[in-house]
Amino acid sequence: MSDLLLDVKNLKTRFRTDDGTFFAVDDVSFQVRRGRTLGIVGESGCGKSVTSLSVMRLIQNPGEIAQGQVNFEGRDLLKLPEQQMRAIRGNDIAMIFQEPMTSLNPVFTIGNQIDEAIKEHNPKMTADQVRERTIGILRKVGIPAPEQRYKEYPHQLSGGMRQRVMIAMAISCDPKLLIADEPTTALDVTIQAQILDLMRKLQQDFQAGMILITHDLGVVAEMCQDVIVMYAGKIVEQGTVEDIFYRPRHPYTKGLLDSIPHFETGHKLDRLQTIPGLVPSLLDIPPACRFQDRCPYVQERCRVEYPELRALNDTQVVSCHFPLNGDKA
Amino acid sequence: MSETLLKVDQLVKSFPITGGLWGREVASVKAVQNVSFEVKRGETLGLVGESGCGKSTLGRCVIRLIDPTSGTVTFKGQDITRVQGEGLRELRKKMQIIFQDPYASLNPRMTIGAVLEEPLLIHGLFPSAKDRKDRVRELIRLVGLRDEHLSRYPHEFSGGQRQRVGIARALAVGPELIVCDEPVSALDVSIQAQVINLLMDLQQKLGLTYLFIAHDLKVVEHVSTRVAVMYLGKIVEIAESEELYKNPLHPYTKALLSAIPIPDPRRREERIILHGDVPSPVNPPPGCHFNPRCPLASEECRQTAPELKSYGQDHWASCLKIKAST
Ligand SMILES: Nc1ncnc2c1ncn2[C@@H]1O[C@H](COP(=O)(O)OP(=O)(O)OP(=O)(O)O)[C@@H](O)[C@H]1O
Ligand SMILES: Nc1ncnc2c1ncn2[C@@H]1O[C@H](COP(=O)(O)OP(=O)(O)OP(=O)(O)O)[C@@H](O)[C@H]1O
Ligand SMILES: [Mg+2]
Ligand SMILES: [Mg+2]
Repeated sequence: MSDLLLDVKNLKTRFRTDDGTFFAVDDVSFQVRRGRTLGIVGESGCGKSVTSLSVMRLIQNPGEIAQGQVNFEGRDLLKLPEQQMRAIRGNDIAMIFQEPMTSLNPVFTIGNQIDEAIKEHNPKMTADQVRERTIGILRKVGIPAPEQRYKEYPHQLSGGMRQRVMIAMAISCDPKLLIADEPTTALDVTIQAQILDLMRKLQQDFQAGMILITHDLGVVAEMCQDVIVMYAGKIVEQGTVEDIFYRPRHPYTKGLLDSIPHFETGHKLDRLQTIPGLVPSLLDIPPACRFQDRCPYVQERCRVEYPELRALNDTQVVSCHFPLNGDKA
Repeated sequence: MSETLLKVDQLVKSFPITGGLWGREVASVKAVQNVSFEVKRGETLGLVGESGCGKSTLGRCVIRLIDPTSGTVTFKGQDITRVQGEGLRELRKKMQIIFQDPYASLNPRMTIGAVLEEPLLIHGLFPSAKDRKDRVRELIRLVGLRDEHLSRYPHEFSGGQRQRVGIARALAVGPELIVCDEPVSALDVSIQAQVINLLMDLQQKLGLTYLFIAHDLKVVEHVSTRVAVMYLGKIVEIAESEELYKNPLHPYTKALLSAIPIPDPRRREERIILHGDVPSPVNPPPGCHFNPRCPLASEECRQTAPELKSYGQDHWASCLKIKAST
């Protein structure tokens, strides 16, 4: 069995809005391997969610996938009829969304909802078997008194517990690929630590591949082996987690790392380093390098020629004409 | 030692929950329970804790946006707990608040110029129109925006820029104390850093005092002189910021610090993973509020509510399990 689970090639996703047409994801390629976690980071609006929704083929009007391949175990998902895609969603590929309340149905008990997910993919199981499996999964994700919780409705649970139910639902069919879009952003740090711990253990059990979307670089450092940094719909840097955190080569990656307040004593009351300016609007992106207006090292060439992604070594890829020398951030 | 600007003593705030046919009070949310602390002029007291533990409620009581149930708030030596009318209006000039969501807190139909002028009109400051315009221009520059921004509307600004406007509005009346309620939580890291730097520059320049509420402990450590940790309505630990981060005493503070993901892949150290969820402030557990999740809890913790006790210079914590030796 090949290690390579997901191979996304030259993906472009377009939105046609009243204000104009733009590519929220613009020629993005990446791979996910079994048993590894790929982190996608970048500031709000850079295309993280659209990337994951494109992989799931869940892009809706006014959006559409304009180009590319999403090869999952060797099959291009973009070519499958919707019916086959539906069988893959929730079964081979599962997704955890940021806001669990929007993806849990308020009028059904949580047991009922997980039962349904299991039944859909295991039509031969008896009702008792399904129920037993659901309760087992609820226990596995750390829900206390699962027999009791089985009968409760989403609003009766705390935020942390709802997020666990979402995870339970996502893993109920032993997915090969788990996509988690900001799975802990709405949670407090101690609850976040519980959930991340749980996700890590589950992944080890299943040897699944995982895509973890987050804007928290701390979460990435903790959870991921591989990282993509996105900026305005493009990948600007890609590498192993060590590449990105210890040898950032794109000025944007370094800027992001430098703007986090460092959680060490001694730095206190210093000024934080900032990235000046704002993310450009996708309707009005500068030609050539998209980061040019905020880049401290910008040169003439950056304003006229797009920096194609290029490999710097076996693992690290950067889209910059003048990559940094890779000193620790 | 500089002067004590704010003193909060045994502050309590409960919200009634009504129910039944006659809307009787059936229970109450004990949002803030017997909280006491002081803030010195020019310092920043950071306030951290999990969602729903009462941080915003405490901040709002302090500046009298809501009325405390009991306890006292003293500002510059004056008891302001029950001040009303003209006295309260005067107080508003001295104490201001910056909210988390810069969008929801700005009127979408007012230009930024009008937003900044409004508090001056309300308080009758700068009576001449020309002086008022000058003040508005001074304010917008103070927060790093430009005169041309004054004629624009909130939706034309990014989140970080709107937060700057929120800060300028709070500064308009010349306050001494500002409650910053999650001022950067909604912003991206690169923008967060810009706003934090601005707040710290302004503090230096104008001698401001901050009560800084946040759930991001990295941000709080960066800006605060002292830090108070809240859990379910109570302060469980308070100390100088460096001391608290280096030498946390309360098991909840320890868990909180240990749970922060550190942006360094080599430091995937073992975390203290707490079990269970934050209990409801409607039915707080008996004894120590933290006992159901605490790895050290024993029978006495379920019986006795611990008091804040002093452990060395300016370091207070409330836990029965802290060794007396410190
Ligand atoms: N349904 C939609 N209609 C129009 N534009 C959209 C839609 N969904 C996303 N976009 C746009 O696509 C771009 C990328 O959005 P996306 O949701 O992928 O960002 P993100 O990186 O996930 O940001 P965040 O961190 O805020 O979740 C944004 O400019 C967004 O406004
Ligand atoms: N007006 C109100 N009526 C009833 N209950 C309230 C009211 N305001 C706050 N509460 C409750 O008081 C408790 C404390 O809320 P508060 O908003 O102070 O928490 P917080 O620490 O600021 O949380 P967050 O981090 O989510 O902002 C919560 O249980 C909340 O539901
Ligand atoms: Mg998103
Ligand atoms: Mg709050």
